[in-house]
Amino acid sequence: MNLGLPPMHRPRSLERELATGANPYLPARARVMRIQELVADARLFELRFSDPELARSFTWRPGQFVELSVVGVGEGPFSLPSSPTRSGVVQLAIRRAGVLTNFLFDHLREGDEVGLRGPLGHGFPVERFVDQDVLLVAGGLGMVPVRGLLQYLIDLREHFGRVILLYGSRSPEQVLFRDELETYGRRRDAEILLTVDSTNGRPWEGRVGVVTELVDDIELDVARTVAAACGPPVLYRFLLKRLAALGFGKNRIYLSLERRMECGVGKCGHCAVGYTFTCLHGPVFSYWDAINLPELIDQ
Amino acid sequence: MQTLRMKPDLMAEFLEALAAWGRVWAPVEREDGLFSLAVIDGDVTRARPDALRTAVPFKKLLLKPRFTMLQSAAGGTPVESADNDAGAQVLFGAHACDIHALKILDLLFLADYPDPYYRRNRERLVVVGYGCWPDDRCFCDSLNTSTADDGFDLFLTPIEDGIQVVVGSSVGDDIVRANRHLFEPATRRDARHYLERLSTRKEAFKLKLDVTALPFVLELKKDDPVWDELGRKCLCCGSCSMVCPTCSCFNVADEVTADSGAARVRTWDSCLFRDYATVAGGHSFRGDRGDRVRNRYYHKQEAFVREFGMPSCVGCGRCIDNCPTGIHVVEVFQHVRGTG
Repeated sequence: MNLGLPPMHRPRSLERELATGANPYLPARARVMRIQELVADARLFELRFSDPELARSFTWRPGQFVELSVVGVGEGPFSLPSSPTRSGVVQLAIRRAGVLTNFLFDHLREGDEVGLRGPLGHGFPVERFVDQDVLLVAGGLGMVPVRGLLQYLIDLREHFGRVILLYGSRSPEQVLFRDELETYGRRRDAEILLTVDSTNGRPWEGRVGVVTELVDDIELDVARTVAAACGPPVLYRFLLKRLAALGFGKNRIYLSLERRMECGVGKCGHCAVGYTFTCLHGPVFSYWDAINLPELIDQ
Repeated sequence: MQTLRMKPDLMAEFLEALAAWGRVWAPVEREDGLFSLAVIDGDVTRARPDALRTAVPFKKLLLKPRFTMLQSAAGGTPVESADNDAGAQVLFGAHACDIHALKILDLLFLADYPDPYYRRNRERLVVVGYGCWPDDRCFCDSLNTSTADDGFDLFLTPIEDGIQVVVGSSVGDDIVRANRHLFEPATRRDARHYLERLSTRKEAFKLKLDVTALPFVLELKKDDPVWDELGRKCLCCGSCSMVCPTCSCFNVADEVTADSGAARVRTWDSCLFRDYATVAGGHSFRGDRGDRVRNRYYHKQEAFVREFGMPSCVGCGRCIDNCPTGIHVVEVFQHVRGTG
């Protein structure tokens, strides 16, 4: 079955080039089409490659990431928050956190050009999700890569079973893509369960509590369910135990992990754990692979 | 492969002939007992191929300690910089361990998305090896890197009243054909002398590292207090990484240049540095010194073995030479195994 995704290569095998050019460190130019406020200190940037051929052909797997560059300021890795089924523009959901992101928030205007390299890393092995129920779990900013996967599953709805999203945020005003997610829920595209740590006095119809508790609120046919999660280390600590206790095989749970990805192509070493480069071998790992790498996840 | 011989008194002429293939780098004695790789244009007699180890290995010929990767004029589009391009170079006096280290760097930099800065210098590098004799800090024999079967263009080994010359590539063959008068056919006597040298040399290795099942031993010992002890002893100065022929981590930082342009600059880095694994927001995945020391040893002797079936340490002894607090890699592994 053709799912319209670029192939996954085994690392350290095939010599290949990034879509953005033969020099993997040289970014391709992209123009900022739109900047949209998501929540306080997080914005959605819509970019379009300046080379029309690249703008048309650029595609990716949900879970892959790009490096965004402003030479003279810096470069940083950002997950792709949208589905390749909705290509043409490249979206990035970015939180203000350091020198580069301060520049993006304070100085970047619609019409300006930045650099992009990618797509980088291994995304989710979506082929293994076909005809399965898919449980998505996101915590905080972990919603960014999970949204790309969610959109993809919804756009190719007939290939997958149930699609369930459990998403936890700190408070109602921190929920990313809230309108969009509630629309998916209303249209029954997916089962959407949102929770917040505290309502902060805001109106809120979802749950209150940590996201891992939501796992107990849904009926799952574990034998035909795969799980995909992204969130802070504390989310994995509780979630993975819970899923294992429910009977999930460790190779049917996929995690998107954060590390200091700098070059993005498995050379500079900063994201390496042993000889596994989170950027090249990941950032998506099965729980089995992650558990066998010391310190990749807290256990 | 082809084996020839050369008369020892022709060495200087041979070195001068190499200049036709690029700038010739060779070990030179910088001060008493301290050797560096330097360009020997003009005075080939400075070459000391018998020197065991240069302070910094050949990797500096391929990737400079600091170079500009990208540059842009004020408000302009970034373009690739030629700052690291060294042109044609000849590395003379590479030992077997260096050649194995070069092959390990190739595995990293020429696979997947090849590194164009490395590749351009690598493709124009001519490697002329030289047979060495171990001291008490060499343990390449334990790691199967004390001899090289490939990975060089020519390999010279001193034998009785001559030098054995192995031609390992088409470029090596070009050098030989352009300088026919320097070489003669190898004799049976040469072969005998070489094999005698090989077995005497094997016995000369005093330092030995037991690598039997080492990856699994390390797996069993990953929570051992030895790593905390080492973390207290290690200053995390990064000297061992800088002198290691297979350490190749780099950091990238942006700079604004004097003419208001911008540059993206790449520098050698070390996994022992505190901020090496720090991510946006300030969380470090390896904040503890002990964790960083363990990661370095596991990278070389456990994880690399799982990926490529061999360690990424070649036993050159440079880290032993250069550790300011006397951490000795072989003793570390003896201690981990519980035999030292």
